[in-house]
Amino acid sequence: MALVRTEKLSKVYNPDTVPVHALRDVSITIEPGEFTSIVGPSGSGKTTLLNMIGGLDKPSSGKVFINGTDLTGMKDSKLIDFRLQNIGFVFQHYNLIPVFTARENVSFIMLLQKRDKKEMLRRADELLESVGLGDRKDARPKEMSGGQQQRVAVARALASEPKFILADEPTANLDSTAAMNLLDIMLRMNKEQNVTFVFSTHDQRVIDRARRVITMVDGAVDSDERRDGTNESGDSTGKGNSTGTGTSTGTGTGNGNGNAQKS
Amino acid sequence: MKTLITIAWRNIWRHPARSGVLIAAVVVGLWAGVVTVGTVNGLMQQRIDYLIDSEIAHAQIHHPEFLAEGYSWLNIPDHEEILNWLDEDARVTAWSARTMTDGMLQSPVKTSGVRIRGIDTDRETRTTDFHENMVEGEYLDSGIRNAVIVGKSLAQDHNLRIGNRIVLVFEDTGNELSSASFNIVGFFESASTEFDERNVFVRSEDFTRYLADELVVHEIAFRVAELEMVPAVVADVNATFSGIEAQTWREISPELNVLVELGGVMLYVITLIIMLALAFGILNTMLMALFERMREIGMLLSIGMSKLRVFSMILLESVILTLSGALTGFLLAWGSILYLTGSGINLERFAAGIAELGWDHIIFPIISPPEYVGILILVIVITLLASVYPALKAIRINPLEAAKDS
Ligand SMILES: Nc1ncnc2c1ncn2[C@@H]1O[C@H](COP(=O)(O)OP(=O)(O)O)[C@@H](O)[C@H]1O
Ligand SMILES: [Mg+2]
Repeated sequence: MALVRTEKLSKVYNPDTVPVHALRDVSITIEPGEFTSIVGPSGSGKTTLLNMIGGLDKPSSGKVFINGTDLTGMKDSKLIDFRLQNIGFVFQHYNLIPVFTARENVSFIMLLQKRDKKEMLRRADELLESVGLGDRKDARPKEMSGGQQQRVAVARALASEPKFILADEPTANLDSTAAMNLLDIMLRMNKEQNVTFVFSTHDQRVIDRARRVITMVDGAVDSDERRDGTNESGDSTGKGNSTGTGTSTGTGTGNGNGNAQKS
Repeated sequence: MKTLITIAWRNIWRHPARSGVLIAAVVVGLWAGVVTVGTVNGLMQQRIDYLIDSEIAHAQIHHPEFLAEGYSWLNIPDHEEILNWLDEDARVTAWSARTMTDGMLQSPVKTSGVRIRGIDTDRETRTTDFHENMVEGEYLDSGIRNAVIVGKSLAQDHNLRIGNRIVLVFEDTGNELSSASFNIVGFFESASTEFDERNVFVRSEDFTRYLADELVVHEIAFRVAELEMVPAVVADVNATFSGIEAQTWREISPELNVLVELGGVMLYVITLIIMLALAFGILNTMLMALFERMREIGMLLSIGMSKLRVFSMILLESVILTLSGALTGFLLAWGSILYLTGSGINLERFAAGIAELGWDHIIFPIISPPEYVGILILVIVITLLASVYPALKAIRINPLEAAKDS
């Protein structure tokens, strides 16, 4: 079963006044273990798509399934709990709790999950060490650089053992060294622990390292390119057969179904 | 829960100055409010005690029209029977029968309208402390014939000295104008200048000679063992005797009645006003804090903090903020009142004005335990009400705030 599946997802802002079609019939599938970036020009609908997948906003039409569960009809309070148990979030502005230390920020989400206290602290320390902040556990966000804060945010997102992590422009506020460093950590988590990442970016160097790139244009998926190992493929979803469309920049040897790949 | 308290507590100290000022305002507001209430309470209680002890006693019996008219022929019929009844009732501890009428005081300087009060000094002394108001000369028990005591302020008005004679003019029970001269033996000063200017005291045996053929009584003031018994005894007197009207101290003195009624409400009105003012301070501070933290709360809702927890977090924050101040102010006030109950607040500097109004110059603030509880409940309820709104606002924040560009 696909981890994330959207079905003709559309979002229209201000339908009654000046309608903005932020998403148009987006149908994508994300499998466990993917390292997928959503790219596209500003205003193309990246954030809107991530918000729908994260259950933070409701589509105007279409459906979102996470592990087979339909988010579209879910009540707000149920959705909050669903997010807590299934989805990790990393924000562009880090959004740590300013009055908490790094360790407290990471344990907080496990506390919300009502986990065992000892295990919680152990895991928080372990995660902070794995993102290279073993020596900053007691630092508050103010005392850390942007890169460090974002690494705490990644540790926090991982702490809840989510099915996947959503990150909207996680590197947008970081300088390139910090950005690459963060990406290294994300990639390592992906490779070593099979953590699924879905993130948006417009930073070319970040895009270059993604294993799947979904390009959005005007709220629609323009291309969906996989570069995993030898099985690099490019096709636009929803168009059936890639060889016939001519939009792909890939080798054209891949299968027409962009979802068939397993990691 | 513990974590929520931790966040709330740390959030409070995110802006030490802002929270500090609010807490200080709550402390000072509540302290001042409670001490003020205690002082007002104390003032009222003193006034009540004073009027009961020095003048009114616990209840009085009159001819139903006497208080309004003041004529000497509106006396209490068969007063002997009533006095016997009072003697026999175990609840009644003392009584004093007074012979009185409205009349004029004439001095060489001028004439003033006064109420002439004829008393039996022994009886009066057992019933009231009025004799303690003497400031100069002697009380009526000196043996001098036709002795009169007048208020200090009336004496000054008429330029009177001890030993001077004055003439009292009044209508006797036969509706005839009558007058007699009296010798000033002393001056009194009660807590009310107005009372001092409108009342003179003579012995009822002296007064009766000019007023009637035999002793007439216009007012019977009596005391009972416990204040709570007053209404029952008064009701019994009214049920037993006709042609008279017995009234409780609260009925006799509209002033006391107002004081008692006010006293009960005042406490809560003052606390309420102060707390409402503080509530706006709390609201303002909390809404400001919320506004600054839209993104953070959006993030908390995004990552999966339940609305109930977000609600509790914000509620806790304002409750801790306010209650820490309120409890401190409350304890301070309690301490202050405890201290002042011993020493009293000396208003001597303002005493002249205060005496005009009939108040004593040393005030002993009073707040009873139930009143403390009442204040505390009021404080907590208002705090909660003021805290609920920001908390409700917090859970309405859109999780998408987390992603917004500042
Ligand atoms: N809350 C909103 N109200 C109205 N229009 C919006 C709102 N959010 C986004 N949009 C519009 O939807 C389109 C897609 O926005 P967005 O998903 O933020 O794009 P991206 O993240 O790719 O820059 C844009 O045209 C944007 O102006
Ligand atoms: Mg965006």
